[in-house]
Amino acid sequence: MAEVAPLPTFGIDVDRTQSVELVDVGRRRISGRYPIDPFGADPQLQDLLAPVVRLGVPVRVTGAAHLPRRGPALLVSNRGLGFLEPTALSVAVRQSVGRRLRIVGAPELPIVGDLLRKLGSVSAYPSDLGAALRAGHLAALPLGLTWLRTGGGVPPTEMLVAALGYPVLPVLVGPGGPFGLPFGPWRVVIGESLTVGNVGDRDPLAAAELAEAVRGAVHALG
Amino acid sequence: MRVLVTGMGGELGTRVAQRLEERRDVTEIAGCDYVPPRRRLRRSEFRRIDPRDRDKLAAFCEEFAPDAVAHVGIYEPGSRLPPKLAARYTQAATVAALGGAARAGRLERIALRSGINVYGRGRGRPSVPDENAPVAPTTPFGRTLLGVESLAAELGRRHDLPVTALRAATIAGSHMPSPLGRVLRLPAVPVPALADPVFQLVHADDAARAIVGALFTDYNGPLNVVGPGAASVWQAVRLGGRVPVPVAGPFWAVAAQAAELAGAPAPPHVIEVLSKGSAADGTHAVSVLGLAGVRSTHDVCVELYEWATVTPLRPDIDLAEVIRG
Repeated sequence: MAEVAPLPTFGIDVDRTQSVELVDVGRRRISGRYPIDPFGADPQLQDLLAPVVRLGVPVRVTGAAHLPRRGPALLVSNRGLGFLEPTALSVAVRQSVGRRLRIVGAPELPIVGDLLRKLGSVSAYPSDLGAALRAGHLAALPLGLTWLRTGGGVPPTEMLVAALGYPVLPVLVGPGGPFGLPFGPWRVVIGESLTVGNVGDRDPLAAAELAEAVRGAVHALG
Repeated sequence: MRVLVTGMGGELGTRVAQRLEERRDVTEIAGCDYVPPRRRLRRSEFRRIDPRDRDKLAAFCEEFAPDAVAHVGIYEPGSRLPPKLAARYTQAATVAALGGAARAGRLERIALRSGINVYGRGRGRPSVPDENAPVAPTTPFGRTLLGVESLAAELGRRHDLPVTALRAATIAGSHMPSPLGRVLRLPAVPVPALADPVFQLVHADDAARAIVGALFTDYNGPLNVVGPGAASVWQAVRLGGRVPVPVAGPFWAVAAQAAELAGAPAPPHVIEVLSKGSAADGTHAVSVLGLAGVRSTHDVCVELYEWATVTPLRPDIDLAEVIRG
């Protein structure tokens, strides 16, 4: 795997969360000495907002042991539409292994797109997903726009080309309330990792194979 | 190895020549530019040639008969030349120098300076493109760079040579004449009113290391060379203690004019960096070229602001008295 040169983090790990003191945050904001990654993520801001988000979107995680504690991996979840599903998944990852999650699918809109990038979103391009994985991030990709569905949608084969050779984990995210309503903790089920192909492969057939495999695995979690 | 360095008079070209001089396997170094090198070079032969004098430039390159060419004669608009002249110089230097070098018949490889501007920026384009991302430049400088890459690649195909195009982020450093650096060092800097895009820089010395490294590999194709990490435009302004001036839409043209009046020309590719950002994935170059310890974008940005302010002295001042205090 490519060697990644270190970048200044000013005490904030680029991938793992840590406590953030308000005075320190304020001082760094004024002086401009805080890390930002090429995707636009602001780890300090993410860590600052994490406790608030965790209160707003409680989660109940099953299969947390499957989540890698370090290194790149791609979570493929069943649902992609809306803000709550990615947020619930992000809270689950932070709660289980203390890592920041990169949600794939930042909209190309002024203000909203920038804000979501600061909170860890990545644009939905194979190139961006590949770069995130090469940099060792834990990324999450929805199977498709599956509003009001629990199974997998259309597999994004063109995106999965970038994930060949990396661990891919199927994930089921759903509201934990009665009749599928978002009352109570969100339910997040994480499946076992599967890997297809080698890092750097650009084989569309292998990507299609991975898409089918992960779609089946997500469906099996339901 | 006999190496020809085009654009040897620039900061980057001079650094490339200095690094080549350190290598024992490089037996002869020759270079050309329209201005002399910025530092003393010990064993490089320099010829002052205007790139528009194509016959003279081509004859010099053919006569030297290089084994490898470091094509650094890419003139960034607003750096030392106005945009139109920069594009003409770049085009002329590419055609004449590469053509002349190839005609000599000894050429084995080409490494050329390009930029991540070739990917373009905006809707429908990845934020962090890798080398496989489609190229669709959105500024005149990006199109010039893509033209240079195409010419060199065509030459490489005809002569069966590996051509490494080093797509560098904005090259900066304390002594690098960079239009983006000049704009960021203004007392008041235009920033996007409704966004906070991120950009990447690469230090001139790291860019020079990458170009020299590419001369000693057989890699054929593009490589992104960027400083790890990134800086946002608002963050960079805070790092330098400058005053941010929020700008949106058509007012960017006004901001560009104002910056030019203040002594910092802001051509379209600089305005694009400020308004939309600029980044790429550079992990492949790190592994191919073995580039360890590349300075981060943040460090390069800090170095831009740490450059000592030049205080002009009055012509009638008595220097001896100043030194005595």
